[in-house]
Amino acid sequence: MFLHNYRYSLVVLLRNKGLVFWTLAFPVIMALLFHMSFAGIDDAERFSAIEVAVVDDDAYQNQVIFARAMEELSKSEDAVLHLHYADSTEAEELLNNGEVTAVISIQKREPVVRVLSSGIQETIVQSVVEEIRCDSEVISDLAKEEILAEIGEDGTDLDFERIFTDISKAVLSVKSKVNNLNQKEYSFVMIEYESLIAMTCLYSGLLSMTLMNMHQANLSAVGKRSTVAPARRGAVLAGAMCAALTVQLITLMMLYAVLLLIVKADFGNDIGKILLLSLSGSLAGLTLGAAVSVLVRTGENAKMTVLLSIVMSGCFCSGMMGIVMKNIIDKHLPFINWINPAAMITDGLYALYYYGAVDRYWFDLASILLFSVVMTAVSIGGLRRRQYDSM
Amino acid sequence: MSVILEVSHLTKEYKTVKAVDDLSFTLNEHEILGLLGPNGSGKSTTMNCILSLLRYSSGSIRIHGKEMSPSAYDLKQEIGVIFQDVAVFEELTVYDNIRYFCGLYIRDRKTAEAYIEDAIHLTGLEDYRKFYPKQLSGGLLRRLNIACGIAHKPKLLFFDEPTVAVDPQSRNNILEGIEKLREQGASVIYTTHYMEEAEQLCDRIIIMDKGKILASGTPDSLKSITSVTEKVMAEVPRLSEEKLHKLEGEVTNGSIRYENGRLVVSFHDGKDHITHLIDILRRMQISYLRIYSERPTLNDVFLELTGKELRD
Repeated sequence: MFLHNYRYSLVVLLRNKGLVFWTLAFPVIMALLFHMSFAGIDDAERFSAIEVAVVDDDAYQNQVIFARAMEELSKSEDAVLHLHYADSTEAEELLNNGEVTAVISIQKREPVVRVLSSGIQETIVQSVVEEIRCDSEVISDLAKEEILAEIGEDGTDLDFERIFTDISKAVLSVKSKVNNLNQKEYSFVMIEYESLIAMTCLYSGLLSMTLMNMHQANLSAVGKRSTVAPARRGAVLAGAMCAALTVQLITLMMLYAVLLLIVKADFGNDIGKILLLSLSGSLAGLTLGAAVSVLVRTGENAKMTVLLSIVMSGCFCSGMMGIVMKNIIDKHLPFINWINPAAMITDGLYALYYYGAVDRYWFDLASILLFSVVMTAVSIGGLRRRQYDSM
Repeated sequence: MSVILEVSHLTKEYKTVKAVDDLSFTLNEHEILGLLGPNGSGKSTTMNCILSLLRYSSGSIRIHGKEMSPSAYDLKQEIGVIFQDVAVFEELTVYDNIRYFCGLYIRDRKTAEAYIEDAIHLTGLEDYRKFYPKQLSGGLLRRLNIACGIAHKPKLLFFDEPTVAVDPQSRNNILEGIEKLREQGASVIYTTHYMEEAEQLCDRIIIMDKGKILASGTPDSLKSITSVTEKVMAEVPRLSEEKLHKLEGEVTNGSIRYENGRLVVSFHDGKDHITHLIDILRRMQISYLRIYSERPTLNDVFLELTGKELRD
């Protein structure tokens, strides 16, 4: 029964033109469009440092980590920012005269970026400042923890050398991360590709939802016919889900072929781990589609709207429209990205690519698999021996 | 004849409405039982309850003496359903559609292939094996729908208005097919709005409305229920209001209806009123093209029992 359903579900999916477009062709088209639209954008931005005015007052000087990070960013040969230290009046003048793109100041211990218009340069400044702010917070917290831990251990004698070493390690790690902003690896286009991979993984929900809808008696005549048959639901649906996974694998293969061979995106040396993450992400997408199909008790179109809303808002929160959004969500509403599969996928990719943090990668992978297990359990619970109150 | 299906005191309640109200009936082996009723009378709800698709409020449904449930796979194995909506995959060919649904019942490949051929032959789809549903006419689609429901040779068949929107040839093919299935040993529950089909096909008929049985019996026994004993129809191209009133005064033992150039006189006191009516028409100098007499039909019974007001 499993193979029977697998075979015919596969045929049904591959002959559904709308579905083939959205799941197979759309990600590839998007990848090519990104490539054509953004090709060279990183090179163009890398070689011209952005002019920025910094309000150099006591508040700024007190934010030592932030000030040092800014200084580092403007020092190197391929600096991202070119800083103009000034008081607030001069800084405003520079901004109004168009001599700088943005004014950075510290207000209530928080960095504030003032710009006059929106554009790529303004976005990069916002992104850089947000990144440094997040990292500064991490280092600050770490320093506090280290000191408190030392006090807790034996009362008075603090091992300043050890505290210094631990914090230095953290600072160096952050510094290297911040320095990545200057390097080729930190690429606006790569972030878009990574978001695209997350979106493609979650789009597999369309496949599973289509098949699940076909097997629910209240949604289609075919579903009625399938439900009255003596076939066990588990075997029928397992066959259908495996067919959806097969189509998704084809999609991923096509997408990576385009990204690696045509677009020539640089995913580093961890391609195996990236593929494993994509596969797990696809599983999350498939189970999400199945769960929405079972739980949302309305018509097919409404289910589709709910699924696409979840996927697209998930991708938005995970950085599809710019990494700043992910950082903002991480700071103010972190629970959203704890349950957002798109954020788990992109975070896993960043962990490998930018941070080289394998532990974080495995944590993200485990989170995605846990998400899939929960969605599967919800779907099975909803479908098991289901009879309907109305049709 | 042994009882195949037994429905006892079946009740299905929605929030404020009883869609099926204390319904009881049986289906015997090799019998074709017609379920007739206007829209919303509870026919499809009854069928869905029997098939364990709908949860019902009370009562019991037994097939071969066993309680029907969503996990009664042995009972489901013997059931075939032809739904009112065409239930096929647009992405599969005629052959693959039948193969898929048959495969949900029959695991042995060779047996399944032989059964599929029988179903294709019975529904006359031999020339359309490789066609996709969108390439088929309405009648052929209905036949494919039937083929998908009967390919596994079920012993208990449910047909839910299978001849809606098909041409007379396809309808005839479908009705003959159902007769053949009965000859091969199937028992059938057949719902329809077409009275002549029910009269032609069914051994017994249940007329239901508002979830209740209004009448049941053989087609002939049902016809005896109606108070109309004879209907005389005359094609009268022109009839003034004045003459119609006069005619109503002349015909004291029947009721008169005049619609679209057709005069219908229903008598309630025996037969052979045609000569009497001809005399009246001649006397009143009402010219007619054709006049003929008809015994009451199932349609008359149905309308008398369920009323003539329009339903949703």
